[in-house]
Amino acid sequence: MLDALAQAYDLIAPVQGNNISFRRVESGSEVTLDYINPMLSAKSTFFPQTETLFRFSRDDSEEFGIEPAREPGRSQVIFGIRACDARSLRLMDMVFDGQHKDSYYLDRRKNTTLMGLACFDYLETCFCPTFGIDPASGEDVDILFSDVGDRFLVEAFTEKGTALLERFAEFFAELRGDEEQLREGRKAGLAGMKRLDVKGIADKMAQLYEGPYWDDIGTRCLGCGICTYLCPTCHCFDIADVSLDEGGERFRCWDSCMFPEFTLMVSGENPRPNQKARVQQRFFHKLKYFHDRNNELACVGCGRCVRHCPVNIDIAQIIDDVSSGKAGNE
Amino acid sequence: MNDNIYLPRTATIQSMRPETIDVTTFRITIDDSSGPEEFDYRSGQFAELSVLGVGEAPISISSSPTRPEAVEFSIRRLGQLTSALHDLEPGDKIGIRGPFGNCFPLEEIEGKNLLIVGGGIGLAPLRSVILNVFDNRAKYGKIDIIYGARSPQDLVYTSEYEEWGKVDNSRLHLTVDRGDDEWKGNVGLVPTFLKEIKPSPENTTSITCGPPIMIKFVIEALHELGFSSEHIITTLERRMKCGVGKCGRCNIGSKYVCLDGPVFTLKELKEMPSD
Repeated sequence: MLDALAQAYDLIAPVQGNNISFRRVESGSEVTLDYINPMLSAKSTFFPQTETLFRFSRDDSEEFGIEPAREPGRSQVIFGIRACDARSLRLMDMVFDGQHKDSYYLDRRKNTTLMGLACFDYLETCFCPTFGIDPASGEDVDILFSDVGDRFLVEAFTEKGTALLERFAEFFAELRGDEEQLREGRKAGLAGMKRLDVKGIADKMAQLYEGPYWDDIGTRCLGCGICTYLCPTCHCFDIADVSLDEGGERFRCWDSCMFPEFTLMVSGENPRPNQKARVQQRFFHKLKYFHDRNNELACVGCGRCVRHCPVNIDIAQIIDDVSSGKAGNE
Repeated sequence: MNDNIYLPRTATIQSMRPETIDVTTFRITIDDSSGPEEFDYRSGQFAELSVLGVGEAPISISSSPTRPEAVEFSIRRLGQLTSALHDLEPGDKIGIRGPFGNCFPLEEIEGKNLLIVGGGIGLAPLRSVILNVFDNRAKYGKIDIIYGARSPQDLVYTSEYEEWGKVDNSRLHLTVDRGDDEWKGNVGLVPTFLKEIKPSPENTTSITCGPPIMIKFVIEALHELGFSSEHIITTLERRMKCGVGKCGRCNIGSKYVCLDGPVFTLKELKEMPSD
């Protein structure tokens, strides 16, 4: 089936390289299913790490030409996305949609069908149920694949999903009737997953602007930015120009609130002058500011930042400290 | 309007008027519109100006929508982009996106007196207000403008003071930090001068913009004079990039300066974290 999908669409699926990540594949044989979650989320499919916004040409005349960089509208399918990463796209939509629409991101969202893969196992660092995510569900995807042992249970949740399944109906067999039961059985593997209390956390954060809690975290943080790079909900970017002989282009690339230059102004003033201020910005954005604007917390509990932080800064621990009141009592 | 929020429109520099040794007022018209009114802005908003190949920067609009023939920006040569702008000549093309951001609440404060306090190039966004209220003179009460700069040579819009002085029931009070042989006006810092002038807070809204240190002491002086936080309005500068609330760098707490600002009342600012 993946071979047929790769013929009809741009198929993006988990591939084993130095690590497992989502890549464009030509055939099903390139795809691995041996993962709990890829090291990188599918964020870059919609919001590439570097992307040309437009190209410009310059000639001797005074006029200059601007040509927006738009991809041809070929449809994409992402296979194997997990529930946490699918939810993160819904959160990113809140940023890129709205009053000012980011057509680069939104066009890709529209042209992409999400094929989720249900989780029946988890990593120590996973805590998606904290945010009301059921890792075995298909809440934020078009189609969900659930590995029930000797076969996949396949369900469509959207019109886009239904249409795709109809188009590829030849690959699917009738239900045998025991799939639901088998799935319920496999869900036992999710027992014991971390579920933290986040009730009222935005209000609790508001009490923590001052106080020593962030001192230690700010001192530990190296400002490497890996958390923002791996985070499926981090969306900050920079915009810059490159100039070539006969023109050039304006591009955007991922940026990070962990870097001092992020807020440094040309006057020399920096509103976030130290790493503590930058760490605070990151956690306040996730747990308060994003919530103030969008009524959702900007974390999906994928645990990538926890796994990869070189100094073990752990957002799950921070959530726990804030919720339990420990952060305010230090 | 195109549907791509990152794509600049092209504009032509009509004139460049030097204000000080490093500040120039650029007068531009937009090429791809049927008329200048298509750049529909309000006092207090900003635009993203581009020199292609160099980059883009947010600049506050210093002209008034009541004078739609052209849009003006007073720009200090400071960074890469502003230096590149200064190196251009009339007739050259630039890119423009916007207008972005909120605006000064000029409709809400109709009928009131206005106290405008500016320092240095901070007068640029305030000039949009000044020209706007002058063009709608009947709608406002007394207008006091207190403006200062480091030296007489650093004052901007000096060529317009004579015109401003002719407007009814309004006064321009000038001061400089350090005078010179020819300077006959006041010498002293803006907050001190403000306290000497003692404008009444009665039915008055104050709007201030300038260097952060000046704003801090102007706010203290305004409080001393009896102005409350709802009646002190300022416009903020932050590092901005996209102008449309996506790139994530200009937030103060949960507010984006590019979307929710740059204009805030002091009351709103006090509700924000010290971020």
